[in-house]
Amino acid sequence: QNLNSSRYLRLLIMESTLEQHLDDTMKNPAVVGVLCTDQQGHNLGCRGSLSDEHGGVVSVLAKQAAALTRDPTDTPTVCLESESGNILVRSHGTITVAVHKIAS
Amino acid sequence: MGCCYSSENETTEQDPDERKPLIPHPNPVSKPPNGTDWITTNVPSARTDEQALLTSILHKTAQNIIDVSAADSVMMEQHEYMDKARQYSTKLAVLSNSLPQKKALALPSLTSQPHQVLASDLVPYSDVQQVSKIAAYAYSAISQIKVDAKEELVVQFAIP
Amino acid sequence: TAALTAGLERIPDQLGYLVISEDGVLASAGELENDEHTAGVMMEMVRTASRFRLPGSTDPPFKRMSILEDFVYTVTVSGQKVFVVKRQNNQQEPISV
Repeated sequence: QNLNSSRYLRLLIMESTLEQHLDDTMKNPAVVGVLCTDQQGHNLGCRGSLSDEHGGVVSVLAKQAAALTRDPTDTPTVCLESESGNILVRSHGTITVAVHKIAS
Repeated sequence: MGCCYSSENETTEQDPDERKPLIPHPNPVSKPPNGTDWITTNVPSARTDEQALLTSILHKTAQNIIDVSAADSVMMEQHEYMDKARQYSTKLAVLSNSLPQKKALALPSLTSQPHQVLASDLVPYSDVQQVSKIAAYAYSAISQIKVDAKEELVVQFAIP
Repeated sequence: TAALTAGLERIPDQLGYLVISEDGVLASAGELENDEHTAGVMMEMVRTASRFRLPGSTDPPFKRMSILEDFVYTVTVSGQKVFVVKRQNNQQEPISV
């Protein structure tokens, strides 16, 4: 019982830590959207212009980019660029984040 | 919302010609025989609802069965067969020419000046650093390893 | 294809390039010469990225896709052809310890 409730508490903390991190990221005036997804494209959290529906494309793009590197420990950053702003995609371990920045 | 094949607006209506045979049958016969005739229709007068239900199930099933043994075996001479194959292929060739050419999925046109776009300045390195930092923090939040330089890693307990 | 590739040759700090169509590699040079693997992955990535839409827009939200590492791939699509240029990444600072 104790073990269960402590695990539940840890899950809550884990979730709120990520939520807090996403909120902090959005405080940057150039950032208009942020998304965090797992390797399967399941949305772990998002803000602003990036939403649930982008999770799949973001995770697939990161996976495909990894196929370009000869060294599997290298993690490339994928950037979709336009005059109005950029969407940057980057993986770390089992998760992938996308950040939408507008041109300042 | 754009999804992978959203540009292909397939009409869902059935083309009335879709099921029309390419080459009309020389001597049209009725549909292939099905087994409805072996369903006994004279049920006892004192049948229960259960029996009625059973009969209707049986009837429906029978409608879906084609009794192959009852079908007349259509023998075809080899030259007849070759002739038919030729007829079909010419007919198909004519029809496929009239079909609109369909691409797998057309590539989007992103620019009319590819060289300028490719040669223009790269994404600022600070942005790349920023997103890699955001990814690292998000990962640590998920795996509960809190990376925060402001906190002491070793905490002294107050020992009385 | 000479007109297509002349412009690519002139891009500063380019290490190689690829011009790809639906049917395969049309032109290649430098470090990307005959690099079918990279061409295949780039085609897939362009298709994936093309599905990306921002709210209220019907077009893909980008003119160029870059994949940044020790070097940079810059990718764009024009006239049903995918252009890939591998460029040096000079702006990367030395790793700070």
